[in-house]
Amino acid sequence: MSEKPKLVVYWGASCGGCEIAILDLHGQFLDMTAAMDLVFCPCLLDTKKKDLEAFPDRSIAVTLFNGALRTEENVEMAQLLRRKSKILVAFGSCAQGGCIPALANFTSKDALLNTIFIDNPSVDNPLGIIPQVSTAVPEGHIPLSPLLESVKHLAQEVDVDYFVPGCPPEPHQIWRVIQTLLSGDLPPGGSTIGCGTLTVCDECDRKKEEKRLTAFRRNYEFYPEPGVCLLEQGLLCMGIATRSGCGAPCTKANMPCTGCYGAPDGVNDQGAAMVAALGSVMDLGDTSRLSEEALGQKVDDFLASIPDYAGQFYKYSLASSLLGR
Amino acid sequence: MAGGGVKIGIYFCNCGSNIADKISADAVREASRTFPDQPYVATVDFICSESGQEQFVESLTFERPDRVVVAACSPRDHEGTMQHCLARGGINPYLMQMVNIREQIAWVTEDRDRATEKAITAIRGAVYRVRLQEPLRKKQVAVCTDVLVIGAGPAGMKAAVSLAEAGRSVVLVERSPFIGGLPVRFDELFPALECAPCLLEPLMGELLHGDHSEAIELLTLAELWQVTGFYGNFIAKIKKKPRHVSLHGCIGCGECTLACPATTRNRLHNNGSEQKAVDFAFAGMLPNAPFLREEVCLRFQGSDCRACKDACPMGEDVIDLDEGESLLERNIGAIIIATGAGLFDASRLAGMGRGMLPDVYDALQFEHMLSSTGPTGGGIVTSSGEVPAAVAIIHCVGSLDGDHCAYCSGICCQYAFKFNHAISAKYPETVITHYHRELVAPGKEAYALMEAARTRRNSSFIRCDSGNYPVITPEGTGRLQVRGEDVVTIADMVILCPAIVPAEGADRLAALLDINRDCAGFYDELQGRMDASQSTLKGIYLAGACREPMDIQKALLEGMAAVGHALAGLQPGRMIEVEPATAEVATSRCAGCHLCSSVCPYHAISFDSEQHVSSVNGVLCRGCGTCVAACPAGAITGHHFTNEQILAEIEGLLK
Repeated sequence: MSEKPKLVVYWGASCGGCEIAILDLHGQFLDMTAAMDLVFCPCLLDTKKKDLEAFPDRSIAVTLFNGALRTEENVEMAQLLRRKSKILVAFGSCAQGGCIPALANFTSKDALLNTIFIDNPSVDNPLGIIPQVSTAVPEGHIPLSPLLESVKHLAQEVDVDYFVPGCPPEPHQIWRVIQTLLSGDLPPGGSTIGCGTLTVCDECDRKKEEKRLTAFRRNYEFYPEPGVCLLEQGLLCMGIATRSGCGAPCTKANMPCTGCYGAPDGVNDQGAAMVAALGSVMDLGDTSRLSEEALGQKVDDFLASIPDYAGQFYKYSLASSLLGR
Repeated sequence: MAGGGVKIGIYFCNCGSNIADKISADAVREASRTFPDQPYVATVDFICSESGQEQFVESLTFERPDRVVVAACSPRDHEGTMQHCLARGGINPYLMQMVNIREQIAWVTEDRDRATEKAITAIRGAVYRVRLQEPLRKKQVAVCTDVLVIGAGPAGMKAAVSLAEAGRSVVLVERSPFIGGLPVRFDELFPALECAPCLLEPLMGELLHGDHSEAIELLTLAELWQVTGFYGNFIAKIKKKPRHVSLHGCIGCGECTLACPATTRNRLHNNGSEQKAVDFAFAGMLPNAPFLREEVCLRFQGSDCRACKDACPMGEDVIDLDEGESLLERNIGAIIIATGAGLFDASRLAGMGRGMLPDVYDALQFEHMLSSTGPTGGGIVTSSGEVPAAVAIIHCVGSLDGDHCAYCSGICCQYAFKFNHAISAKYPETVITHYHRELVAPGKEAYALMEAARTRRNSSFIRCDSGNYPVITPEGTGRLQVRGEDVVTIADMVILCPAIVPAEGADRLAALLDINRDCAGFYDELQGRMDASQSTLKGIYLAGACREPMDIQKALLEGMAAVGHALAGLQPGRMIEVEPATAEVATSRCAGCHLCSSVCPYHAISFDSEQHVSSVNGVLCRGCGTCVAACPAGAITGHHFTNEQILAEIEGLLK
């Protein structure tokens, strides 16, 4: 009997949500492990790095790598897994575009450590101790992996065969990905799989009409009208610039899309596409008689209704954006 | 053409010494060896000159390049010339990219080496871009010679009748139920004191029943709703409110009015008389057919009254009680705006009593009072029915005032002197006081009326040039006290002559047509002196007081001037070429979010609700690219300005 193809699920800088999403396959998880041998998954199994190193190169059929690259250890593991795997999949938004961890790229490594360990209302650290790469203790040295200067997504360090978007990827799409990869009928290298070809609007069943936005509103301010496009109601819904495939669970639950499936094909920067789109439908009323200052003030007032540009527009894709951060 | 097979020709124009003095063609040739596909470089002395063009076309015919870069002057000067040369050389004109190395580099860069370096960079960008350009073909659309005229006042009527005489079909849209504009309800006109309705009558007759009136489609109670398209090929949607009385079947006998049981106060008569629900706006109104006010008619308040319909001797079909609002669509080639003007609302000036004191009238109210069809049948009487012993006429109300209307309307003094004449002709003993900031009487005819007023025994003039308006207060005996510049007079009647302002709704029409307005709100001319009949948008012409305050003579002349533009441009059989650099939706990528149709300034994007995708009408699209930038799904391509072309150009510049 031939051996089952080997499967690895690994995490870099991540929250563990991608593993949970895989477990959310429920019964299909058993089907998956019946078809594949899950050999390495720190979240679920007790196999170690040395076990992984013992495998011959390219002996792992598929690695689903989730999480961003925050530390040198993340990079080292990415390189190791690349070497050991036939197919390396950037799995989830962190591995694809940096996601939340990459928002740290708006600040410096030192400022980041300062915020976490010193200048933080919930931290009591009178000696101002910041974790070091190597700390001497009577028993010897405790090593910690150094942080990279900036957070990267997987393809910035190693060749990636496929990308699976989502924060986390939806279980029904994960199952499709597994089936596709097992089928042997592989899509072209570099494709984004486990998703649709349009934008979330295609799967959102709210009615869309012409859009004119006078200001944005936030969820706590009102109950959105059922059946009406959330963006038209002033909620900053990213669905228009986000790849389809999730099935639009958020807008179906009255929550605007935050954009976790990333940009659709043909758009190389999700945040920029969103800014260009919103800028086009921003309605400042009659501006014909306004002075330059008054006009500027109107624009500022409009923009002030967006609380956090970067977190809003680049929550999932900063590391892969044109901003180059 | 992949795999290095693209042959690119760079044509470098010396522009005499304009470019050659600053940019070295040899250095460009040298640098071009490092460009992709190693273009050949040809130098021409003056590529736009006749001999230069010949040399260019000859070279194109000989070399047969796949793509062409012309490094010369601004494309605004000669892109068309160069495209024409490409076509003559058998190459699709859209396979050329022009680089402006004259205005943007040679003329603004002192140092010769720096200028040459900049030029090489810009040309390299163009080479990167031109490799991705695609052949495009212009579409040809037949010009539509029909004209839409908005407003059936003097200017609009003159334009409509003259166009019809010239054999053109005209759609004349008027929002009121009658034609003739403001002066049709005046009594006499300055400067010669001719009877206004009598002067307008022949023109109105020509419009309604003349030899060419068949060519004029008059739509009353109608307003422009939407316009798409462009010069030579506009599509106008017109919203028409129900008149409920057929203009074709009605002979104006008035039987329906007699039978109508519902009444309302007549606002044109300052509520001093009654009107029926189905009635004429005023006696002698044209078209000679009443209209039905739904807000007054009993039937629209729930009753099943049909008294008017039963009374009509012309049959069942003339009055249609079920007529609803309709949206008409008309294809036209040009639009003439003749929407006229209104009066500055003098109640905005505290202390003048407008709207508060019944014997303070504005000029239009007083014109109606003078008219034999007006509230008093032409009698000049105060609100208590007395002949006024003293009248104050206040000029420049809101005019010459930086806080309100920072201009002189130019006609108010003349009609004020006309009022003086009308009052004194009837009541020579009535004392008339003119309060004015300035006095104007331009032209060859205005002086006589002014002089008559000035020399009249009971008339006097008080100049108020301190910047304050006269203050009008009730005086104990029911008369009015007028205090201007510390001079106090007593009057029984005050007539305000407010500034002329654009007609109500001018802002909406400007937004709808996307034309500019000046700081006073009048429609902006293409050029105030050289092209005052044209708006800022091609094919939309301005006539009459919608452009600037003016009298009837000038409005009629402007009507004719607009007709001249329409006739000169819209020749039958002429074709219009439509630029192919338009936007196109890739339906396989469109998720139907509707964002693009929200931003299109030309209404060129429609939504297919069955396929759930947007599509761009290639004739209406002007290639502005707004939707291309806005589409968050990357589903729209701007032909000739694709993302790939633009990014390639940037890449070339940064190499």
